Amino acid sequence: MKEIGLIIDRYHLENKVAEFLKILKSKAKVSIYLEESYLLNIDNLNFDVDLFFVKGKGKLMIAMTRMIENETSIPIINSHKGIWISINRFMNSLILKKGGISVPDFSLNPSNCQSPFPNYIIKNIIDQKTYSFQPNILKEDGHIKVSDERAIEEVEGKDEKYQYLYYQMFIKSKWEYKVYGFGEDLYFYKQLPVLVNPNKMETRREIEEIPELKEIVLRAMKILDLKVASLDFLKSKEGQYYLTDINSTPNFNYIKDGPRIMVDFLIEQTRN
Amino acid sequence: MRLKIGILSKRRGHFTGKLKNFFESKGHNTIIYTKENLCINESMLENDLYILKSKHQIPFVYAGFYAESHGIPVIPNTDISQKHKDRFEAYLLIKNAGLLYPKWYYGTPETIKKNLKDKDFPFILKPVSGSGSRGVKVIYNFGDIENLNEDILYLEKFIEGTHYTVYFIGDKICAMEKIPLKNEHSEMTRRELSKEMKQIIMKWKNQYNLLFGHLDIVVEKKTHKHLVVDTGSFPEFSNWKCGGDPVPLIGNLILNEYKKLKN
Repeated sequence: MKEIGLIIDRYHLENKVAEFLKILKSKAKVSIYLEESYLLNIDNLNFDVDLFFVKGKGKLMIAMTRMIENETSIPIINSHKGIWISINRFMNSLILKKGGISVPDFSLNPSNCQSPFPNYIIKNIIDQKTYSFQPNILKEDGHIKVSDERAIEEVEGKDEKYQYLYYQMFIKSKWEYKVYGFGEDLYFYKQLPVLVNPNKMETRREIEEIPELKEIVLRAMKILDLKVASLDFLKSKEGQYYLTDINSTPNFNYIKDGPRIMVDFLIEQTRN
Repeated sequence: MRLKIGILSKRRGHFTGKLKNFFESKGHNTIIYTKENLCINESMLENDLYILKSKHQIPFVYAGFYAESHGIPVIPNTDISQKHKDRFEAYLLIKNAGLLYPKWYYGTPETIKKNLKDKDFPFILKPVSGSGSRGVKVIYNFGDIENLNEDILYLEKFIEGTHYTVYFIGDKICAMEKIPLKNEHSEMTRRELSKEMKQIIMKWKNQYNLLFGHLDIVVEKKTHKHLVVDTGSFPEFSNWKCGGDPVPLIGNLILNEYKKLKN
C-alpha cells in the first residue's frame, strides 16, 4: 500500500477534508503533518512516504514544502514554486502575462497614488489566509471601482502590512468561469460573477469543456508548476478570456465527486 | 552612453544618495524610487537599468522582477536578492554553497515548547523575512517565548564565539569584528582576513556570481568552526575600512556589469 503525507493546517483538517480523508485512508496509508504541531528543522526531514499533498498555504507549510524539495526526492503536490506564485497575486499576473496568458492589466501602486485604470478592482497582494472576498462596490461617473476589504485593511488597518495596493483592470463579464484541474483532467463550471451574486454556489453550474479555456488552463498550470488548481476567468465583450484568479489549494468538495477525483489523482501520481 | 538609471531603495540618502550622485557625475540620469513614488507598471519601462538597493518584497523585489521580465537589467539580480531576504532560501543558498550554518527551528510557540528542552537554549529569534539585526533578539528560556506576539517562530541556535561582518566588493574583502546582534552601522574593528574567511567569501561570491555584498560569520569559540549567520546582497558598507570609497567602487562594478549584460 502506498503512503501519502498530508501537509495541512488545522482549519482545512477540521473543515474541508473529512470525505477526502475517508476515501484516501481506504486506498493508502496516510501520515498527517499538521502546521500547528510540526517543528520544521533540518534534522526532521526524514520521511517514509511516496508522495506529499499540501492542503493549505500557511507560512510553515510553504517553508516545509521548500525544504522537502531541496532535501528529498519525494514528489510533492503542489510544488513550492506553484504555491508561492499562486498566493503572490502580482507575481502570478507578471509570470502568466510573460507566458502569453491573457490577464487583466495590473499595477502595484503606493496607496496615495490614483488608479491607472478608470474601472478597477483592488485585490489583496498576497492571498495567503483563509478568508473570502469582501467587495465594496462604487459606481461613479459611469465607472466601476471595486475594492476588497482585506486589501484595504492591509494598508489602512491597525496591523498595516504595506502601503501598496494591487489594481486589476475591471473586466465586465456576464459569467465567471471556473476550471478545476487535476493534472490534465479538467472540470468546467460557470456562475454569475461574485459582484453580481455574492453567493457563488447559488448560480454555479457544470458546463461542457471549452477548448479555448482548456488550452489556457493547461498552459497556465504548466507555467506555474501546478498539478492541482482552480482557475477563474472572465470573458470580455470581445470574447477574450482573462485569467483573474488562481488557487493552488482548491476546494474539491465543490465539484461532483471531488474528494474521490482528488484521491484517485494522488494515487495515480504515486505510480509515476 | 548616457543611461537612465533607477535605484530601488527604501531611503533617498545614505549610500543610495551617494550612488545617485556618482552616476550623475558620470552623466547618467538617475532617479531614486522609494515607497512614495514607485508605481510598478509600464511607467518603469523608461529606464535602462535598475539597481536593487533594498530587498523588501513589496515593492522593491516585485519591481525588480517586473523590470527583468521586460528585459531591463537589475543589479544585483532580483532572484538572488530575494533569496538573501528569505531566511529559508538564504539557508539553502549557504548550504548549497557548501558553507556551515547554525541549527534552526521553525514552528508555533506551542510546538517549540513541546519539542525543545531547557538545555537547547539560548536561541536567536529572527524574522523569517529579513536580514540584518531588525527584529532579532536572544531567547534565553521558555519564558521569553511566552511574551512573543508571533504565531510561528524562527529560532536559530546562538553560537558563542567571535562575530564578524565580512564585506566584499569585487576582489576586495574586508573583515570587521562586531558586537553580536548589533547592526551594520555599529562600531566595528578591522581584523586581518583569515585564509578560511577568504575561502568562504570566494566560494559564496563565485557560486552566485556576486559583484559585492557581505556575510556575517561567527567563529565558534569551542570548535573554531566558521558559521554563516546572515547574508546581505547590498549592505550600506558603513564600516568599510579597507581602502577606497565603496561608492565609486560599486558604481563602476555596476556600470561594467551593465555593459557586459548588454553585449
